[in-house]
This record gives sequence, C-alpha cells and structure tokens, in this order.
Amino acid sequence: MSVEQEKTNENNDDIIVIKDLNKWYGEFHVLKDINLRVKKGEKIVICGPSGSGKSTMTRCINRLEEFQRGSLTVNGVEMIEDVKNIEAIRREVGMVFQHFNLFPHLTILENLTLGPIWVQKKPKKEAEATAMKYLERVKIPDQANKFPGQLSGGQQQRVAIARSLCMNPEIMLFDEPTSALDPEMIKEVLDVMIELANEGMTMLCVTHEMGFAKKVADRVIFMDAGEIVEQNTPEEIFNNPQTDRLQLFLSQILDH
Amino acid sequence: MKEFKPLPDQPAPNDTVGPIHWVKDNFFSSAANTIATLLILALLATVIPPLVDWLLISANWSGTTQDACTKDGACWVFVIAWSKQFFYGSYPTEELWRINLCVLMLIGVIASSQLLNKDWRNKFSIPAFLLLPFVCILILDGSWIGLEYVSTDYWGGFALNVLLAAASIIVAFPLSFVWALGRRSEMPFIKSVSILLIEFFRGVPVLALFFMGSVMLPLFFPEGTNVDKLVRVWIVLTLFMAGYMAEVFRGGFQAVPTGQYEAADSLGLSYWQKTLLIILPQVIKVSMPNILATFVMLFKNTTFLLIIGIFEVLSTTQTALTNSNWLGGHSTEGYLFVAIVFWICCYSMSRISASIERKLDTSHKN
Repeated sequence: MSVEQEKTNENNDDIIVIKDLNKWYGEFHVLKDINLRVKKGEKIVICGPSGSGKSTMTRCINRLEEFQRGSLTVNGVEMIEDVKNIEAIRREVGMVFQHFNLFPHLTILENLTLGPIWVQKKPKKEAEATAMKYLERVKIPDQANKFPGQLSGGQQQRVAIARSLCMNPEIMLFDEPTSALDPEMIKEVLDVMIELANEGMTMLCVTHEMGFAKKVADRVIFMDAGEIVEQNTPEEIFNNPQTDRLQLFLSQILDH
Repeated sequence: MKEFKPLPDQPAPNDTVGPIHWVKDNFFSSAANTIATLLILALLATVIPPLVDWLLISANWSGTTQDACTKDGACWVFVIAWSKQFFYGSYPTEELWRINLCVLMLIGVIASSQLLNKDWRNKFSIPAFLLLPFVCILILDGSWIGLEYVSTDYWGGFALNVLLAAASIIVAFPLSFVWALGRRSEMPFIKSVSILLIEFFRGVPVLALFFMGSVMLPLFFPEGTNVDKLVRVWIVLTLFMAGYMAEVFRGGFQAVPTGQYEAADSLGLSYWQKTLLIILPQVIKVSMPNILATFVMLFKNTTFLLIIGIFEVLSTTQTALTNSNWLGGHSTEGYLFVAIVFWICCYSMSRISASIERKLDTSHKN
C-alpha cells in the first residue's frame, strides 16, 4: 500500500478533501492554494467579499468550474477529466443556486422527478412519491402541478432544495441561496436549510446570512482574493477575528 | 393597535373607457389624425367597390370553357376548370383518394395536437407529425404497400408543394439542431464542419441550389444509379432549410441562461439528456416565431421549382395559361388563386404556431 493510499484511509471520515487547489481564468489567478477538509455531517459557511472566489471554490466541488492544479476528492472519488468520475461525484452532490435555476418548461413535480427518473433510472411512480415527500418537507405539496413561473421566489428556492434532495445526495452545496430573494421570503428558505442541517446533512453554504452562520455552522470560512484567510467556529470568527481583513469585512457587513 | 384596512377599488373615470372614446382616441385624436382618417376612408371607398365587383358581383362562376366568361368580372371558370390540375397535378383520377387521404391525415394530426392534452400530444401527435410525410410518400408511390405504382412524373400541383415542404422541414429539423449544436461545440473539427455547412447552404441562392441539385447532385451518386428528380429536390430543400434553421436554433441556444445548463449538470444528467430534456424544449419555445418564419419561407420557395421543370402549383398555372383553349388572358385570376391558396396555408400555419407558443408559455400567472 502506498503512502498516498494510507493517508486516504486514515481520513476516510473526510467526505471532501481539497488539496492545493489552484484555478485561473486565463491569466487571472482566482483560487490560490486552497486546502480544505470537510467531515461527513459538517456544516460549513463560506463568507467573504464579492470576487473572493467563494462561489468559484464551491462550484469546483461538482465540477461546474474546472481547476488547473491540485486535487479534489469527494466521497472517495477523485475529480479527474473522466466523465464517469464527474458523473459519480455529481450524483453525490446536490446544488442550490442563487437564481434557483428551476426548469421553466416543466411542472414542479417534473422538475423534481427528472433527475431520479433519468439519472437514477427509478420508476416514475416511485420518483413521484419521493418528490411529494420532499415537497411536503419544504411545505409546498399543493404547488406540485404548477410551473416555476407561477411561484414566488421563496417557493421556487424551496423547490430547488427539494429537487436536489430527491437525488438523495451526501453533500449539499448552497451558492448564495437567499441573495435573490425579497426580505420577506428569506426566512422560509433559511428555515428549510436549518431543518436540513439538524438532520445531519453535510452542507457547504456560501451566504451573507450571518445569523444563519451563527445558528448552524460548525465552521465558518472567510475567503478573500482567492485564499482561505481564516477558518474557525462561528463564535471565534465573529468575536475574535485574527486578521485585520476579516475585522474590516465584519465591520462592513454588520454595521449599517 | 390600529387595524389596517386597504382602500376599496374605484371604477376608472368614464371618459377613458368605452367604444366612443376608443374611436376618438385612435382615429380623431388630432387634426392631422382626422385628416388621415378621412383620406384613408375616401381611398377605400374608391378602391373597394370596383374590386368587390370584379372579384364577386360581375364574376363568371359557371361553365366549362372560357366562352362562358361573358361578364366583365373575373373568369373564375378558368380556375374551376383547372382546379383538379392545380391541386393534384396529373395524378391519376381514380387514385386521387390517396392524396385526399394524406390531406385528411394531416388535418387529423394538426387537430389532435390542438385537442389532446400534453401527455398524449407528446405520445401521439408529435411522432405522427414526424412520420406523416413518409407515410404519405409510401401511399402516393403505392408500389411498396401493394397499391398501383404512380411514378413521381405524375405528382404535382399544390399537393406537391405541401408534401415537399413538409418532408423537407421534418428532416431539416433534427439536422439543423445537430448543426447548431456542432457550431457551438468546442471540438474544432465538428465546429468548422458545421460552420461550413451552415454558411454554404445559407449563403447560396436557393435557385442556384436547385440547379445544382438537378444537374450536379447526380454526379455524386454512384454510377448507374438514377435518383428520382423529386428526391434530389427534397435533399436540396432539406439542406437549404437546415442552414437557416441552424441559425434560428443558435439564436435560441443563446437565449437559454447558463444556469439551466448548470442545474442540469449538477443533477448529473448526461450531455444528451441535458440537451434533449432541458435545453431543446426551451430553445424551441424562444425560437418558435423564427421557426415559423423559416417554414413559411421554405413553403413559398417551393414555387421556385417551376424553374427546373417540377409541376408544382405555379408551373401548373403557367401551363394552364398557355393552353390553347384558355388563351383569353386569365393570368390575374390564375396568379391570384395561387396567392390566395398560399396565403390561407401560411396564415393557418401562423395561427397554429401562435397556439403552440401559448401552450409552451409556462410563465403565466394564475
């Protein structure tokens, strides 16, 4: 057994392992030597100013973005060019986007059953039963036969969460899930996310909702200029920032 | 605490609604507008009565030869006497039921797409629509299904215009979609081949393509094979249509937000699942008006086939006009008839497409 493999076995409760990850957009260095290990069931909130690379890093985990150097392993599968590996990882990772990205030509129910039917090859009846179960969990089973355009933003985002959950993922990624919502609707989405966190889902969440971070995060990661500047428990991050950069960021988002 | 009560709705002021206000607002809102309205009314009054008189009142409707056209108006006798030729070409009279059957099937499929619900539309109407031209070709030809063989030399008239247009559109549809995908591809070979094909068939005039089809295309077939002239025309029309449609689809692709691709990717859908289940339906929805415009253009372009001696409706009309028994100068009636028939078809297509657009529009609120 090689040294490399022994190391992997030692840390087999780490569901995401990112090592020295670097990414460039052309000449522009967006991610610099990112190292991150996420345990199964851990809830991580990623914050930082815009352009800090927090979304880009999150999107690398399910290969919506490619990276040029370093390695990334999700649930024991290494992210390489091979389509098989990419699809295997995507099956384990659910993602919720800022702009919901529901499929506008399909009903809510069809949005939820599409993945299970076509990717997991489940029978339609079973997929629909699962979909209804998750719609009930996000408290909108009565909207099943409507189209996304007929729902409010908050409802659409809850559908998007349910759509990911229908694939039974090991990990959920949230990329600013409440940034496009009216203030009145943020709470209904956060409530669903908190409930999900309490059930033990592994979550990585890019968000500016610091209240949410304090409530559910095991660890808060602060990024700037493509680097992880600080990571710690929410209490330490908010009450005892170690760098001037984080202090400045916190003063900007908290005092207004 | 004080209770909040919303104010009740009030009716709109009286002088902003109602038919009289509408007329005043749209026709007589200013001095210039009033003058324009009166001028147009005067113009219509001088043009419409003689037109109606020529078209209908003094028109000749009954008879079998041009001698029956004794009144001043239009000689519709000409159109009536030749109508079989105009619609069916020289297809044998005792076999005309085959063409009628094809027309009935077409009407049936269109009606089914309007009447059935979404599930059945996908399961029945769409496959039936895609298969229909090929079924019609089998029926019209006859030799494969045990009917009497009718050579394509006898196919003609307006039925041929419709058949050629429909058969080309249906083959061009998937072809152009693949070309458009190829043009967006990151693989350099596929991309450049797609661009070459699209730009060639879009950049060359359709008449030049027809001549190439009837003169050059046979050179590419293996020696000794004799490919039917209509098949060659079909290939040319299909490729021409595909060039245009590919660009229509490309525009549609650009209108689909990247978030849709990302959402499909994050669910783990494969490339073709993503393209066919998520992207294609949205591309068709935004491209619907342009798809229809391309359909109509191709349909009307089938009349150019008279140049290479295909007996479609326009060349049949010309033949009729030069017939020695009908040399009385009926070209106005003949061409007007062709124009009306085409207009009815194109307008129906545009109504059908509008209804498809409404069905595809899922953004409505309740």
